[in-house]
Amino acid sequence: MGIKNKDIDLSVSLGSVKLKNPLITASGTCGYADELDDFMDINLLGGFITKSITLKPRLGNDVPRIVETDSGMLNAIGLANIGVEKFIQEKILMMARYKTPFFVNIAGQTIDEYVAVAEKLSQCPRIAGLELNISCPNVKQGGITFGTDPALVRQITTEVKKVVRDKILIVKLTPNVTDISVIARAAVDCGADALSLINTFTAMVIDIETKRPVLANRTGGLSGPAIKPIAVYLVNKVFNEVGKPAGVPIIGGGGIRTASDAIEFIIAGATAVTIGTAGFIYPDCAVKIMEGIKTYCLKHKISLAELIGSLK
Amino acid sequence: MSNSPTKKGIFNASVLQNRGLGDKFSRLSLELEKKAHIPFSNASAGQFIQIDVSNLALPDEKLIPGELSDSARRNILLRRPFSFADIDSSKNSTIVEILYCVLGPATLRMKTLRTTDIVNLIGPLGTGFTISEDKKLAILAAGGMGAPPLIHLAKVLKNRCPNTEIIAFVGAKTKIDLSFFDIKTDKLKIKSDVILGEFAKHNIKTVVSTDDGSVGFKGFVTETLADWLRKNKPDGKNAIIYTCGPEAMLSATAALSSEFKIPCQVSLERRMACGTGLCQSCAVKCRDKTSGGTLYKLCCKDGPVFWSDEVVWE
Repeated sequence: MGIKNKDIDLSVSLGSVKLKNPLITASGTCGYADELDDFMDINLLGGFITKSITLKPRLGNDVPRIVETDSGMLNAIGLANIGVEKFIQEKILMMARYKTPFFVNIAGQTIDEYVAVAEKLSQCPRIAGLELNISCPNVKQGGITFGTDPALVRQITTEVKKVVRDKILIVKLTPNVTDISVIARAAVDCGADALSLINTFTAMVIDIETKRPVLANRTGGLSGPAIKPIAVYLVNKVFNEVGKPAGVPIIGGGGIRTASDAIEFIIAGATAVTIGTAGFIYPDCAVKIMEGIKTYCLKHKISLAELIGSLK
Repeated sequence: MSNSPTKKGIFNASVLQNRGLGDKFSRLSLELEKKAHIPFSNASAGQFIQIDVSNLALPDEKLIPGELSDSARRNILLRRPFSFADIDSSKNSTIVEILYCVLGPATLRMKTLRTTDIVNLIGPLGTGFTISEDKKLAILAAGGMGAPPLIHLAKVLKNRCPNTEIIAFVGAKTKIDLSFFDIKTDKLKIKSDVILGEFAKHNIKTVVSTDDGSVGFKGFVTETLADWLRKNKPDGKNAIIYTCGPEAMLSATAALSSEFKIPCQVSLERRMACGTGLCQSCAVKCRDKTSGGTLYKLCCKDGPVFWSDEVVWE
């Protein structure tokens, strides 16, 4: 009898946080986790990242908020969320039922707002870390405007890092830049414990009958299988140019649907992987992907640690 | 009577029948795997399923309607939502019926489903119609493809509320747009005497109208409904309106509901990705009764059925 699937150790570390496997649900695609309860055991996940939380509640954009494209979809939800106070009162206890570490994605219109949200959340013992959303393409102020300017990335990372206490700070990067490594380096230099990439690509779908954009927000973020090869490339680039030299782990994602997709990201340099759009279609797919990664490791007689960044 | 969402799940289903009804419509009967029995036996009318149609083949090129020949080539990624026209749940089997209209690349692919093919679905999803056994009168108002959940509701009401009188108002653009109904007109073509088998079998009086007058009364379903309400003046305390159809029709029905002071439930439709509350894309602008402002509810989770007076009609 050889080694069995269940004996394979898939645990990884993001800074001081240990995950039992590299599967994480991506921000904005898994609600506050409880929506997934009927479909899967959340405790099987390596981690989950909540939707973006802002200082004040946000209603979000008008509809239509999504449109399907070939092999992808555009969304422009507009960071709809209940606001940090209500989140702390209503959601944290509910999420603390799970053994899985969870990370809270935070967003704001000003640096002060980001800091205020981070400060409140850093006092909640159950939260493992914060993910700084400086890459949302669907809000008029904040979001992506921070993530495309290296000077602002330095400033916001520095300020938020001061208040996060023992939580790890993940910075989520946008691909809508000329050189993503410049942004990644700015975040790492100022204390990011991990990098998360990629957020969606700014994109548009036009209704040719009305000659108007389909989305009420006009533009939206492209996600899904369509962006996967670009995401793999960018993860590898940031791994080589920033992550590996600095020893900072990368959470990779963008269009992952199958175990082989996830393995590509890990070979490219991702320590953990996020499942986003695919979870809209098969809400339990993270568990199947995890099993597929185990099978791969067993077949190739390789540990997950050896697999990370093993691109030849 | 509670209409709270039941536990949902991901299930495989085997196609029992996929029968064309005229050129545009089809009826798909799906037998769900055994473990779907409990969630679906608790499902309520107005809830829905999300079907994965991404891997289905396209029909033969010759069978693709000209207006869809271009869009047919699009890939499908997301599931497609369908409300139930019927659920038949016994100990040994769970059969779900849906009625669909071929409108785009997804429904075109569904036409190729054959008996014994397997499809994957998620459900039952959302919040369905609220049923109160004490109502004396239930008014169903269906517009076009809004009819299927009301056909299901009619059966449920008949079983659960034997003391409630039910009347159905059904409208569509033309006679062809009613072809998913078992439709009978008498020889004299008396407008008030169009019989729809789905309602007639429960002895539900039905008033049919079409925009072009090709069957039943000429005009909108909301006009025949308004005429009837004016003439019969039902007591709003003991009556309820259930409606599903195009948004403009629902909005007009909501206006009748407030004019005649009869509570009204509307089943809405929105673009949705997940159908399970994850993506937040299917927002419905609603009144916030506590603050007096507005808030967004989710069509997939809080709905698709809403009280007409909570929706902000635009």
